[in-house]
Amino acid sequence: MNDQWTDRLSEYLDDDLSSAEVTALEAHLAACASCRATLDELRRVVARARALDDRPPATDLWPGIATGIGLAPGAHPVVSLGQRRARRRLSFTVPELAAAAIALAMLSGGAARLLLRGSKAGPMATTATPAPMPMLVNAGAPGTNARYAAAVADLERALEQGRGRLDTATVRVIEKNLSIIDRAIREAQSALAADPGNAYLNLHLAEQMRRKLELLRRANALAGARS
Amino acid sequence: MLATLATLTALALGAPQQTDTTLPVRSGARLEVENFGGEIAVKTWSRSAVRVTASHSSRDRIEIGASDAGLHVKAEGHRGPPHVVDYEITAPAWMALNLSGVYTDITVEGAQGEITAETVHGEVKVSGGSGNVSLKSVQGAVTLEKARGRIDLYSVNEEIKASDVSGDLTAETVNGDITLRQIESSNTEANTVNGDITYDGTIKDGGRYRFATHGGSLRVSVPEKANVAVSVSTFNGEFNSCFPVQLTGKAKHRFNFTIGSGSARLELESFDGDIKICRPGAVSKEE
Repeated sequence: MNDQWTDRLSEYLDDDLSSAEVTALEAHLAACASCRATLDELRRVVARARALDDRPPATDLWPGIATGIGLAPGAHPVVSLGQRRARRRLSFTVPELAAAAIALAMLSGGAARLLLRGSKAGPMATTATPAPMPMLVNAGAPGTNARYAAAVADLERALEQGRGRLDTATVRVIEKNLSIIDRAIREAQSALAADPGNAYLNLHLAEQMRRKLELLRRANALAGARS
Repeated sequence: MLATLATLTALALGAPQQTDTTLPVRSGARLEVENFGGEIAVKTWSRSAVRVTASHSSRDRIEIGASDAGLHVKAEGHRGPPHVVDYEITAPAWMALNLSGVYTDITVEGAQGEITAETVHGEVKVSGGSGNVSLKSVQGAVTLEKARGRIDLYSVNEEIKASDVSGDLTAETVNGDITLRQIESSNTEANTVNGDITYDGTIKDGGRYRFATHGGSLRVSVPEKANVAVSVSTFNGEFNSCFPVQLTGKAKHRFNFTIGSGSARLELESFDGDIKICRPGAVSKEE
């Protein structure tokens, strides 16, 4: 997979290659199944990223900013959300694929919905949980990314402190399921170590890591709700 | 001796008591019920009123707050949290429901509005619902049928089942199977870490479908006239199809193929299990 075209796939998706390069790359893709698969993964990541909501801030900060920089109230010299979405360009090289995948996994799908939507009064309300930070993680890197590890450590520490507020049955369920996810992470890491260029394994590992963070956040939210 | 023990227990917990109240509600009102331990069972009727019956200890008091927004039902303990309260509630079918509990089973029958149901230890079983339908449990199965809208099903340590459901559907658990049948959706995502996933439903043109598990198998239906680009990824499993497919883009652990125009996208991923596609109605876990 690490051939001369691998790092050009993102440019190919962005239409940044010359027509001669496009012709050459497409000829290469016809003969390289691995490159086609990688291109497919890149398309999936980009598609997921484009599908993310551009959520407006809870409070419109623009009037204050406009006043502060001397613009008339109501003046909006900023591009519209639609324009920004249309302009949004997402480029990934293959080594960045896993990083992009885990960052997206943390921000999109169920994780983002659960964290951003939360619930008003339910036992799983996430009020005690800090908002997620975009993290760039190379899912296949040995030891994983320091920011991911720090986020997990923070959540584990918080959970340990809140453990007394959870009943033993809940603690048992959470520990059991964290251990299931940890096993999945170890298996994915081990597979990835044997096949570091495998985009599926990178994405799969990222997904399991995202799930661990999410379960830890939920567990902390439960402990917070009981306090 | 036993009689003495029963008397002492009754004194400690308080005598059983029944609360039965019916309140009128305006169109568009929402019903919120909070419980600690016990059950919340909601049925529907055609009246614009909510009837709340609750079986509880005499030491607990059932509080029903009414506002323009709707009704809020909860129990207050004499000292500390309330004991077990079993609610049987009858509400207008159109009423939006927001039900939550800790050691609580939740059941809903016949609702036609939005539903949010969350519990920690207990099952969530819902028949009906439209718009946003969100059902969650940590330690308990989640079951939904006859709903439409934007569906979000979540468990941690149990299975998820949905049937006769239409709309956007998300189902996620860590340690449990996910079974989705009679699904009419153009956007479905299901994933589990330790469990099988079964999907028997539509594959609509332009739709997106993603099913992923780590330690289980996938069984997914693909209708005969579907137009779908399928990507299959597995590390230790095998791929089987009940009908012939022409694999393209075949790489280690990954396969792609297209049926018809390929306008829909179907992603199938299992790290350690087998993946099988069949025609609708021919998908079952036992295969």
